[in-house]
Amino acid sequence: MQARLSALLLWIAVTLAAMAACRSESGPPRFPHQTHLAGLACGVPGKPACLTCVSCHDLAQHDSGQRLPKAAVCENCHRDAHQVKAVLASTPVRPSGEITIDHDKHLAMPELRGQCVPCHAGVVDSKRPSLPPMSKCFGCHEHSEQWAKGECTPCHDAAALRRTMPVTFLKHDTAFLRHHGSVMAERQQAQLCQNCHTQSQCQSCHDVTQDLTVEARRPERIESGQVHRGDFMVRHAIEARSEPARCLSCHTVQGCDSCHSARGVSANVANPSNPHPPGWVGGNTASADFHGTVARRDIVSCAGCHEAGPATNCIRCHKVGAYGGNPHPRGWKSSRGVDAEMCRYCHE
Amino acid sequence: MARISGCLRAIAPPAPALLLLLLATRPSLADEPPKASPKDQKAEAPDRFSVSARSETYVQLYQRALVPGQNGQVVPTETAVPVHEYLFANARDVDAPWQKDSIGIEFAAWGRAWPTQSSLERPFDGDLQTANVRLEAGPAWARLGRQQVAGGAARYARFDGVMVGARHRGFFLEGYGGYTVLPRWNGRPGYHHLGDAEDTLLVYLPPQPQRGDYWLAGGRVGYQTSHVSGSISFHDEQVTTGVDRRNLGLDVGVQPFEMTSLGASALLELDSGRFANARLWADLSPHRLIDLGAEVMHSEPALLLSRQSVLSVFSTDGYEELGGTLTAKVLSWLRFDTNGYIEAYRGTGPGARGEAAARVAMGEVYPMTLRVAYTRVIAPQNGYQAVRASFSRKLSPRLSSTLEVYGYFYDMQIAGYKSSSVFAGTASYQAADALEFLWSASVAQSPYAAVDAQTMLRATYHFDAPSRPRQR
Repeated sequence: MQARLSALLLWIAVTLAAMAACRSESGPPRFPHQTHLAGLACGVPGKPACLTCVSCHDLAQHDSGQRLPKAAVCENCHRDAHQVKAVLASTPVRPSGEITIDHDKHLAMPELRGQCVPCHAGVVDSKRPSLPPMSKCFGCHEHSEQWAKGECTPCHDAAALRRTMPVTFLKHDTAFLRHHGSVMAERQQAQLCQNCHTQSQCQSCHDVTQDLTVEARRPERIESGQVHRGDFMVRHAIEARSEPARCLSCHTVQGCDSCHSARGVSANVANPSNPHPPGWVGGNTASADFHGTVARRDIVSCAGCHEAGPATNCIRCHKVGAYGGNPHPRGWKSSRGVDAEMCRYCHE
Repeated sequence: MARISGCLRAIAPPAPALLLLLLATRPSLADEPPKASPKDQKAEAPDRFSVSARSETYVQLYQRALVPGQNGQVVPTETAVPVHEYLFANARDVDAPWQKDSIGIEFAAWGRAWPTQSSLERPFDGDLQTANVRLEAGPAWARLGRQQVAGGAARYARFDGVMVGARHRGFFLEGYGGYTVLPRWNGRPGYHHLGDAEDTLLVYLPPQPQRGDYWLAGGRVGYQTSHVSGSISFHDEQVTTGVDRRNLGLDVGVQPFEMTSLGASALLELDSGRFANARLWADLSPHRLIDLGAEVMHSEPALLLSRQSVLSVFSTDGYEELGGTLTAKVLSWLRFDTNGYIEAYRGTGPGARGEAAARVAMGEVYPMTLRVAYTRVIAPQNGYQAVRASFSRKLSPRLSSTLEVYGYFYDMQIAGYKSSSVFAGTASYQAADALEFLWSASVAQSPYAAVDAQTMLRATYHFDAPSRPRQR
């Protein structure tokens, strides 16, 4: 125990040291836009013409990569080709992928008066992002028609959308995973969500027939919130008791039973091991270990081993006329009569 | 106690199926015709559609032993060399004669070969996960084939059939029906994720299912704008002996302010007239650096069981859960994530679960992320504390790596152990735009294995690599 704790602390110390070592690495610096736009001597005799945004950026290009200046543009003034190459390689990551935008049309808008900075504030303020967040776009455009139809294209490139994580609008924050089923239900099936996601992505987590779990197939996704990481096999009974409804989002109790049967701890196998404590079956209904008390609280755990449809061994004691008594809880009702096929197992 | 004696996983080169080979013959799988001049664009906008395909192939080699064996017996280990293949393909926004961008196709499947002798595994296995075509015509659409319905009354269900829908001025209507996909029709009933018990072990051998008896149908009507959305849904699923589940769902979402959203959902189990699940939540961003979430939930898990399970009528005891999340972006490179929930189980003491995590992310060209988290779970009968540290770093434009360590400390012993630990790491190499290799390894000590060592190599091939956005 102590050795493991020591190993754990050692590992944390190593990672913290690595983090500290990496702290000085931040890659090439952000491009000094302000220096180029306002910090150079220009526009006077003997000096070059002053730069504007379009001096370097070809805004008519659709592909944002092509909007960036070629090295030859920089090399008009800068002679260190290696440095130029490094700076041009330091363009920011585009979290939303390629955006289809008509720059000429936007620059002609009276609100912008030909200025790039209202959207690209980061070029003059290093604390702000160079690329506008989506909320900035929505500040002017409502896009209500596209929103109602669940269309992200043509502003977003369809191919890029599949690899884009929303950072402002519709952002998938820490609580989103808990609500995502309901979010899907509120909206049109196959519309908004499926702009970015395919059904196979849903099945990557939800399809329990796969041999390889999503955790095994995607071990590099250390922040993905996958529920079965670590030694889940050991913890699964604790997790099932803590959040029983969550397990049933993907698993059926047959899934529990097929594994328990193979390990001889299911009621459905011949000569099973009995994991229950003394007093589990008997007349002392006040005992904390009495099976009825536990079953009332956590019937899903019972079903993990005792689920064999109507032929479960509960019926032997609890059917009408047997000595096990009425198992239905107070307030129980069913739309089916006692002559329904399943009910007849007890109400024969 | 039996133990897993060791585990070694390896990989073979991708073995794409015929479909992907056919797709690979295209010069570019995200076809965009040559860019037209602005003048031409006004005359006729170029067609934009995408086709993407991916293949993942795994070959594993490991030894294993079931834990525990029958009646606690130590069982012999078996050596396995399973081969897994995953295939994914989809096309979007393909033009149809009647409407532009109106056809979508999706396909996903996995297969496995198990060449060595095994008492639990079949020589060949596999499943078609998705295979459907989606057609649009004006405000209506239809999807045919193997597909899924998710959320609302259906929760999550896969079926072979048809789903149709239509929308008008924010209102939408959907209906679906078909044969259920689970239980798998190429496997014995009861087979799900963790393995298929030998039939000879079973006392009650379930009858072979008749597929015609397993079907589902449902529908949904709703309204959706940019600030309000909601739907009422119905789902009916049948098995041989009658109703498997029959639910009515209600889902509502409201965004009264830009950074505030409220939601509610309820799942009414119609057979018993009780709520199997109901929740209410609010997400709030009072500041651009802070996200808050609060949620209250009521659940009666027995009502989520099949209505053909006797156990589903033995109990409707449930539990209430109340909790929330807080995310604070303290600095541009430092973020704290916390969440906490308390559960009130009827007939027993309360439970609780929570996590506090710190996340450090730095570097744009070579991003590095460190996350350290502490988790506490208190559940009836047992609980645990966990510490998890995760570290990822991009080492070069093509090479990335991760390291992780988990430590679990149980409140009560499990199989004589009070703790377990897992050490894991990965290294991935982007060999080409389309081809990526990932190697991972882990070592664990747990109540179920004195030593569990695994290593795996994964190859992923993207047939649509030319269309992938440039990652700088």
